[in-house]
Amino acid sequence: MPPDATALSRTLVSAGVEGAGVSEEALGVLARVPTDAVAGALAALAEDGYSFLVDLFVTDSGEALELTYHLRSFGTDDEVFVRAVAGHGAEVPSVWETHPAALYAEREAAEMFGLSFPGHPNPKRLLTTDEIGEPPLLKSVPLRAHHEVARPGIVRVAPEPSQEDEG
Amino acid sequence: MALDRLTGENSVLFVRSEQLFDTARRNSLWYLLFGIACCAIEMMHAGGPRFDFDRFGIFHRGTPRQSDVMIVAGTVNKKMAHTVKRLYEQMPNPKWVIAMGACASTGGPFRMYPNVVLGVDQVVPVDVYVPGCPPRPEALQYGFMQLQEKIRSTSEERLAARRDRA
Amino acid sequence: MTADQVKRAADAIAAEGTLVAPKVPTGLRRVPGGVDALATEHLVVNMGPQHPSTHGVLHILLELDGEEIIAAEASLGYLHRGIEKLAEHRRYHQIGTLLDRADYVSGFHTEWAYSMAVERLAEIEVPARAEWIRALMSELNRIASHLLWLGTFGMDTGAMGPFLYIMRDREALLDIFETVSGARMMFNYVRPGGVVMDFPLQAEPLIRAFLDTWDGYLDEYHDLLTGNEIFRPRVKGIGVIPRSTAVAFGMTGACLRGSGLPWDLRKTRPYGPYAELDFEVPLGTTGDNWDRYMVRMEEMRWAARLARQLLDGLPEGDFTAKVPKVLRPPAGEVYAAVESPRGELGVHILSDGSDVPYRLRLRSPALFNLSVVDEVLPGSLIADAVVTVGSLDIVLGEIDR
Repeated sequence: MPPDATALSRTLVSAGVEGAGVSEEALGVLARVPTDAVAGALAALAEDGYSFLVDLFVTDSGEALELTYHLRSFGTDDEVFVRAVAGHGAEVPSVWETHPAALYAEREAAEMFGLSFPGHPNPKRLLTTDEIGEPPLLKSVPLRAHHEVARPGIVRVAPEPSQEDEG
Repeated sequence: MALDRLTGENSVLFVRSEQLFDTARRNSLWYLLFGIACCAIEMMHAGGPRFDFDRFGIFHRGTPRQSDVMIVAGTVNKKMAHTVKRLYEQMPNPKWVIAMGACASTGGPFRMYPNVVLGVDQVVPVDVYVPGCPPRPEALQYGFMQLQEKIRSTSEERLAARRDRA
Repeated sequence: MTADQVKRAADAIAAEGTLVAPKVPTGLRRVPGGVDALATEHLVVNMGPQHPSTHGVLHILLELDGEEIIAAEASLGYLHRGIEKLAEHRRYHQIGTLLDRADYVSGFHTEWAYSMAVERLAEIEVPARAEWIRALMSELNRIASHLLWLGTFGMDTGAMGPFLYIMRDREALLDIFETVSGARMMFNYVRPGGVVMDFPLQAEPLIRAFLDTWDGYLDEYHDLLTGNEIFRPRVKGIGVIPRSTAVAFGMTGACLRGSGLPWDLRKTRPYGPYAELDFEVPLGTTGDNWDRYMVRMEEMRWAARLARQLLDGLPEGDFTAKVPKVLRPPAGEVYAAVESPRGELGVHILSDGSDVPYRLRLRSPALFNLSVVDEVLPGSLIADAVVTVGSLDIVLGEIDR
């Protein structure tokens, strides 16, 4: 059962979230909110029944980072997406108080994309250590090159010239 | 060495103590129960009823202090490498390492990712590499046979070298 | 022991008479102010990454007051190997290889979730036969995955026996997987568009032979564990996760159903052939370890019934749609999820129209299931922590990715 886009925008407006744009896309009903309004929007949606955070999907579009909060309501059995655009290294308010499932997801997003989530009770690295360097999932961070993964000590032997070639 | 055929009633067996110990060692290779990734599932199957490594004296121990062999079964990344090294250092001598699978040997399908260590031999010395992703339990069994062969041949080489010196 | 020795031992016990109270060690009496005045402190203990009952390389920091846990914190990433990053550099047909290794205990489910996402993105119509084969293999894989959980869960509670029994059944299942897909663990069998090769004829008698014996084997497991007087007190009433906590922390799968919420994607968002099949979803009530245990045990029974229905009704037809060798789905975004043995396994793909995904995200059910340990473990004993973590059925490959 797809949720009503107008009902969703009414919820967001009544919660005082300004500048929210709700549209129906191939992914589902998607509300675009400003970065600093994320916590307010998710709190309003949690009161509306969307208390289950399915996932936090972050992607690097090159110029900015897009955060997509995937929410689900068990009461009405439908799903909405909330999207915010933040700059590289930006601060996005943590939503853990209304959606504790974000505790790990935000820690992961923080280390993978170089974001920070003020208000998070335990803003440590989750999956990596400092040895990894740059946030690995940024588009500007490359993989290893082929010569870097070559095994030292393995020498490729050139094929011996056959008799016919010499003759 | 079929000891039961050599040792009848009242018979005496002369053997170098080193050889005797090596025979004992290679027939009771206790490995550290320590699976990292996918290969660990095949390692568990190797200990299960069909492949039954127990009959070769290959059995798992929960602590490195009681183990002879460390099977590195899975991808080692930079966070894990410290633990692998520490576990290896905790094992008593003599000790051996089997790199099970492509990841432990070279980094495998994940070698392009900067966080992955390119083979566990960059962290600890490896005796036997078992290829496969993941290797079947038969392959791991063959790896253990190679390790037994390595233990036997190194002890013979050591004895021969001493004989030559004398 | 001879009869004579037994008699002598019995005589010796009789001669000792009543039990003498043990002496109190004199050291303790010297503590000024009595034992209560002893200076104690909290101890931080590392459980893992090498620990026999952390199911891989999980590392939990436990702050202990004696045996009681004051605070717990999971430390992950000992198996982080960049599957999401590597997927951005591979073509759509090559990614299944990586995702197999993400959730290495239930490969068919991961492949199916990924293929479903790509099919929705590229608008590929999947033949019915392919969907039924996928569902059949997924249900068998569910049994295999739950079996591995059962064996390790038994080991967590101190029972070594079930582990050896489950390996017997898993070998039968892995033989089936090998016959169908060619591999024991890393199948890469479900691909965008269908399955890579048709369901082989010789697999059917193998599956039927397994399903015929399966109910008896499951009863055997109930005999081994469910009725066991040592096992029951270790799981009943331990590790209670209330329904509100389970929802708040994003738990799915058997953990959510054990807490009493009837949410199964096969019922609530029917995909593949599940709308046409007849099955029930087992539910728990309180959300303790016992409920999660019973839910998984019953799921195995239903998975076998589903497999029989799927095998009987396997339709004829093509096993794959026509898919180009280099797949270039149109630009767009899609989320597809399946009910894996651990919960909702979702794949979120953002495509920019090229032959590689712009971004691929794996919604790991076990990561969200595990996130509850920080909340649930404090207050329980350290021996119960092992059982509670075991009951969550984690696979570190998909948690760390």
